[in-house]
Amino acid sequence: MALPHETSDSDSHSRGPGARGYALVWIALVALATLTLLASRAVTGSGGLVLALAIAGAKAALVAAFFMHLAGGRPIHRIVFGVAVAFIVLLVLGVLADVGTRSIASSYVDELGRPL
Amino acid sequence: MTPPVVHVQYDSLERQHVTARLGMWVFLASESLLFAGLLALYAAYRFAYPAEFHAASAHANLVIGTVNTYVLLTSSLTVALAIHATRRGQRRRTVALLLATIALGLAFDVLKAIEYAQHLAEGLAPGGYYTHDALPARGTVLYVTLYYLLTGLHALHVTGGLAVLAWLTVRAQRGDFTPGAHIALELGGLYWHLVDLVWIFLWPLLYLIG
Repeated sequence: MALPHETSDSDSHSRGPGARGYALVWIALVALATLTLLASRAVTGSGGLVLALAIAGAKAALVAAFFMHLAGGRPIHRIVFGVAVAFIVLLVLGVLADVGTRSIASSYVDELGRPL
Repeated sequence: MTPPVVHVQYDSLERQHVTARLGMWVFLASESLLFAGLLALYAAYRFAYPAEFHAASAHANLVIGTVNTYVLLTSSLTVALAIHATRRGQRRRTVALLLATIALGLAFDVLKAIEYAQHLAEGLAPGGYYTHDALPARGTVLYVTLYYLLTGLHALHVTGGLAVLAWLTVRAQRGDFTPGAHIALELGGLYWHLVDLVWIFLWPLLYLIG
């Protein structure tokens, strides 16, 4: 049976930002998408990709925080999703650290000068 | 209307909803990691073949990819507003917003299908089926194969999400959701937002690296 105090940890406080708030988030998302498009024409190469991914990260944060109610929701939801995001970043960085240092590894030689 | 059922292991409907939300977040986390494997492959091959990825991405249809970005961002808004409408007890508005979300999701899938048809007509097919003469380099085939894997897996999620939204629309129309009890709608909305989140990263990685 439910005791009165047990309902105090409900998610009733995480009702979201309201219709106007949702509309503002959407406007910000559309503006950031347009900015990504314009920036991709202006900044090319690896710098452009890093910039585009940074803007994508900002858009994802807006969607997760407000549309998905991570902001103001229960902390455990932020922990679960945050850990998944951290694992993805670790995986990609680990892979890049591997492929990015293979040219160094291929220059290693043993004491007789033979490639390892 | 089906009244909400409190299962035997819960004290209250609220407790049951708290558990359901946590379960959904764990599911979304594991879904994200499904895409992470392909993103890691993308990172490795993009590092190894930057010029080929650059050249191949120029063949992606930037107009369709960009329109689809705006379509999915807008569908995230409509599903968030649908849940908001349910919380205010506005059934007809909820149904209308869910139908709008479905229409946007269908538009995304149709545009994606048009894009695939264009690629295949050009010989930009995955793996050993690749026959595009102008871009014969090995890295290009890897980009094209990853393009199909990433966008194909994402399109499957869009399509699955559409089935969930259709079911939620029927339930909303039937009056199953009340301002205090609409957990299925809330969880379906979370899933749809994840589909949007994934595309937010696929769009720059596949269309804007040129």
